Amino acid sequence: MKKSLLLVMTIMISLFVSVALVRMIDAHRANAPAPFADESLYVNAATARHMALAFNGLAADWYWMRSLQYVGGKIVTFEDTHTEGFGLSELDLHVLPSLLRLSTALDPQFIAPYEYGAMLLPEVSPDEATALLNSGVVANPNTWRLYHLLGYVYWQRHHYEMASEIYAKGGSLPGAPPWMAAMAARMKGEGGSRDAAGEMYRHLYDASNDPAVKDMVDKQLMRLKSLDQRDEIRNALNSYKATNGRCVSSWREVANELRAARLILDSKTGAPLDPSETPYELIKNGCDVGLDVNTKVPFK
Amino acid sequence: MSQSPTDATPHLQTQKPSQGGTPNNSVRAVRTTFAIARNAFREAVRDRVLYNLVLFVLLLTAGAIFLGELSAGQETKIIIDLGLSAMLLFGVFIAIFVGVGLVYKEIERRTLYAILSKPIGRGQFLLGKYLGLCLTLLVNVIIMGAGVSLALIYIRRGWDPLAIKIWPAIMLIYFELMIITGVALLFSTFSSPALSALLTFFVFVIGHFSADLKTLSSTSNQVAARLVFRALYYLLPNLTTYSVITPAAHGISPDMQSIILAFAYTIVYDVVLLLGASLIFSRRNFK
Repeated sequence: MKKSLLLVMTIMISLFVSVALVRMIDAHRANAPAPFADESLYVNAATARHMALAFNGLAADWYWMRSLQYVGGKIVTFEDTHTEGFGLSELDLHVLPSLLRLSTALDPQFIAPYEYGAMLLPEVSPDEATALLNSGVVANPNTWRLYHLLGYVYWQRHHYEMASEIYAKGGSLPGAPPWMAAMAARMKGEGGSRDAAGEMYRHLYDASNDPAVKDMVDKQLMRLKSLDQRDEIRNALNSYKATNGRCVSSWREVANELRAARLILDSKTGAPLDPSETPYELIKNGCDVGLDVNTKVPFK
Repeated sequence: MSQSPTDATPHLQTQKPSQGGTPNNSVRAVRTTFAIARNAFREAVRDRVLYNLVLFVLLLTAGAIFLGELSAGQETKIIIDLGLSAMLLFGVFIAIFVGVGLVYKEIERRTLYAILSKPIGRGQFLLGKYLGLCLTLLVNVIIMGAGVSLALIYIRRGWDPLAIKIWPAIMLIYFELMIITGVALLFSTFSSPALSALLTFFVFVIGHFSADLKTLSSTSNQVAARLVFRALYYLLPNLTTYSVITPAAHGISPDMQSIILAFAYTIVYDVVLLLGASLIFSRRNFK
């Protein structure tokens, strides 16, 4: 009995020590200059495909989840050290293209990584975004969604002619929705317009099943709506300045104009609310409008 | 686990030595083979081989619960990949580690002498052992397949057509396991369990590189190398034929012709393996 008790005690103490050691190792790793997650992948796509044997689908899932964790980890780290909102280019997602490329090389029919890549990579590495989506189109020539995503990538890069061509190709595929052909025409005629952007994001939102992508697109739609709202607010601020020879000192001075522009105002301050229902801020001594730091509307 | 000879030996009625190919003898031979198979299955169950199902169920349950958050809406695909890959991996481990011990254990325990002293051919003994392990794997695969189907229904909170569509892929996994079992049995007739396990594992790995062997056989500059690669391509089991887990996760099932061809290939290749094993085993001296 005494011997058993001693054994149990030893096990408990050893476990306690091992937990303490793991915490020490974690702390040490956090201080290391280059975290493991940021190291470039040493397995290229072709090798990974060979090494996976019959388990390439599972390996593709692994790299897919790793890419999600990678981006999520970067966002958390950024938010821990910064107070303002972030743009994707500030996150230093240099391993993401390799992760997504591996995932799609292991399972070329896995659409989610292409979709994720189309959303994130244009800001991180535009060439990688184009290459990833082009490889997706080659591997799945009858999947209109990939043409839509590739068209989106070209549109992001302001290559409206290419985007138009891709939409036209995708629109001719069996099962493609009629708006693909309409987008082809729109890209050609008014590729850089805010209306075209709005339509693009609405279609992306409708076509996606991925909640993360839907969330990203939703934010872009909010950004576009906010740009329109800020134009309306600027008009009101400019006309006030033209009439009174000075900029506004509070939102209440332009409340009527803002209401006329169908903006929702904060009941306490009279500040117009952005699409995430956060009040806009007066900047430049009341001459201009800006987003609040706590808003969910992306700055870029 | 120690066993008495009667545990491992099929309960056979005293039979007269085979008199030739009369129908009675054929029926008796089939019955004897099935008795050996039944015993091999019982032995596998007694050895707790099917306990791997518990691990499999835990894996699937954890996957079904946690993958939703980790995979950004891709849990259906991942649960199929995870379930079918685990099915193949567990199956391969069972085929290898149980397969290489099928003959060796009988020799080590000396139960083989009791069996072979009865009117049972050595080939018949091997066939019975092979069928017994195949039955174990079949039970394993069916239960695992049902588990994956249930997990898919759980994830969807209702009926999911993929719960049915994955079964052709499961069938092909089973065919692959039948071949691996045959390979393990072949090696176990002339080699130690450790070496047999290693060699079988190599065959499993190389079998999945068969497409590369074919490419090498057509791209190599040397004629001799081309011939060697071509010979390896045709002689080693072509396991890429059975690799349909990834398409299955996208709801793509192999067509009927592919399944029939894969089944025919499995049977023919297994016949070759079992005849080879029987030939080697019949020449072994147990004195």
